[in-house]
Amino acid sequence: MKKVFVVLLVVSLSFVLFAQGQTESAQQEIRVLLANHPYGELLKESIGEFEEQTGIKVNVESLQESQLTQKLTTEFATGSSTVDVFMTRPLQEGLLFNKNGWYAPLDSYDFSDYPGNTVDIGRKDGTPFIVPLVTEWQVMYYRKDLFEAAGIDVPTNFEELEAAAKALNKDGVAGFGSRGKGAAAVTQLSSYIYNYGGRYLEDNIAVFDSPEAVEAIRYYGKLLGNYGPQGVVSMSWENLMPVFQAGKLAMWTDASVFYGQVVDPAKTQIPAEDVGVAQLPRGPVDDSPFIVVSWGMAMSSKTKNTEAAMKFLEWATSKSLAIEGMKSNITMARNSAWADESVRAMMNPGLIETQAHAAMNGYPFDRPFMSAVGQARDLIGEIVIESINTKGMSPKLQSLATEKAKAVNDLLKADGEYGMK
Amino acid sequence: MKRPLHRKIGFVVIILIIIIPMIFPFLWMFLSSFKTQVDIISWPPKFIFSPTLINFNKVFNEQNFLLYLKNSTIVGVLSVGFSLLLGLPAAYSIARFSQKRLSVLILVARLMPGISFLMPWYIVFSRLGLMDSYTALVLSHILIALPVVVWIMSSYFEGVPREMEESAMVDGATMQRAFVSIILPLSVPGIVTSTTLSFIFSWNNFMFSQVLSMEKTRTLPIAVYNFMSYAEVDWGGVMAAAVAIMTPAIILTMIFQKYVVKGLTMGAVKG
Repeated sequence: MKKVFVVLLVVSLSFVLFAQGQTESAQQEIRVLLANHPYGELLKESIGEFEEQTGIKVNVESLQESQLTQKLTTEFATGSSTVDVFMTRPLQEGLLFNKNGWYAPLDSYDFSDYPGNTVDIGRKDGTPFIVPLVTEWQVMYYRKDLFEAAGIDVPTNFEELEAAAKALNKDGVAGFGSRGKGAAAVTQLSSYIYNYGGRYLEDNIAVFDSPEAVEAIRYYGKLLGNYGPQGVVSMSWENLMPVFQAGKLAMWTDASVFYGQVVDPAKTQIPAEDVGVAQLPRGPVDDSPFIVVSWGMAMSSKTKNTEAAMKFLEWATSKSLAIEGMKSNITMARNSAWADESVRAMMNPGLIETQAHAAMNGYPFDRPFMSAVGQARDLIGEIVIESINTKGMSPKLQSLATEKAKAVNDLLKADGEYGMK
Repeated sequence: MKRPLHRKIGFVVIILIIIIPMIFPFLWMFLSSFKTQVDIISWPPKFIFSPTLINFNKVFNEQNFLLYLKNSTIVGVLSVGFSLLLGLPAAYSIARFSQKRLSVLILVARLMPGISFLMPWYIVFSRLGLMDSYTALVLSHILIALPVVVWIMSSYFEGVPREMEESAMVDGATMQRAFVSIILPLSVPGIVTSTTLSFIFSWNNFMFSQVLSMEKTRTLPIAVYNFMSYAEVDWGGVMAAAVAIMTPAIILTMIFQKYVVKGLTMGAVKG
């Protein structure tokens, strides 16, 4: 009986083993990991052309972004990853990946068509490691029809913004919305802090307990606490966008990336002509919304197919694909893509205008740029929630900010990043 | 059994109070899977709407869900099959010879956070060229299924009177023979229970499949995320995918549920 079991086991296991079959590997093959992102979709559709031109076979996989990060981290950490080229989020994982040497240096790549600060994000000791793909910046979506009905103009500074939020907060429509869910809110809060003259980090030291930054957090909490939709402290973009699309929100400040969905008639109940895109109103000190590289592309330092991988990287970040991306409402990083006439003719003027403004005056970070960014966001998120819950009136906001700034500094010290640069 | 009317009504009301909060999310999911994105986000929620199959069309035509369904089935069936093959004799031996330490050891494997296995597995499987293969997934899922089988079955076997196999052995059967011909047929409810539960655990497993599978062997729980992309969630697609994933599991549970209850309580009171 025992023998029968053993034989059965061996036979069935080996059946599974051999069932896979072997692939002939005479052809050059590379493995590419993409994110579930419109640009990833665009690449997947066009990869056939690349394979035809070069004779290189591309094995593509696409994953949701947090899965992508986890998969890349697991694979790279084992040191035996077979990934050659991948999409990456410079602000989210760039520092960690760079510190561990998981990106391959891209000295031979031509970066002349990219804004300097977008390339700098992916640099380490002067060497570039990430090709910027997509940028996004803070904008304010608003309902033209509601502004018209109330007879008010689109706000251009923070006092006007508050007045407009108050005036439009009626009839079941919330006057103003922005992310309130702790850690998720950190990126959208950033532009408010910059416009108040504050920063999250200065020379890699946490400074969001400065009077300017605390004032900004207070203002953000006051707006959301008084005029925000119900339950805003548990809302990120995935909750706020449906509220805006259902016509229950008069103004919404978030990243430019949502524009396409906000005006898509298959997804929204409000007519596209009622949706306006404006820049975030100017603050008391500055007028400097974030503009960040949300996605980039990189090559694995462990790749065994450097030449083929580089060919793919150059093709996937090429100018012609960037123009195609722009035409499907993806805001690409390449300068020439924005200058292209055929693109400008079909883009929303509000988007072009706010991009130009942000590219000129913006600040290239929307979160504390550090390895322990996730933990830092949680810490800052607690201040945001306290501020919203008290409608910006909390007496202990300053002491809370001081406490959290100290905690973020401890994180920086633990990673050996404190006070660098 | 006759009961006065008001008690009957009271009973129904209490049952409804208990059931509605549990059923409601499923109902919501089910309805949403037939809605367009606009209807899903509309407020107040619509309970009367013109249903659409667009989401299911996305799930089965655009997303290749049949492949993922096949993958999940292959991985589930094989890993549960091997777990039964190894686990039933193991459970029997644990029950008969009181190998408590062994059973604790198996439980520890289940208690350890799954992620701690992933790195070594990834190294081993990629060196062996087994990435994107069913072998890697089946082996990893055995870790989920085997402890379930061993733990349910060892308490079940303890409940089977020892006299049964002793009388078989008096008639000249070996212990193995007695196990196969007497004990196993008596334990069908327990086997069905452990099979169902371990199959569902494997069916729903996310973490192992996420790292060890690739495009060709991707399983269903990973595929749901195909509808979530950067800065965009296709709720209709997610809901339709969830319905498609849950349906086989629900059907399986409904068919076998009487065994499941029996099997789970069998070891509790030893006769």
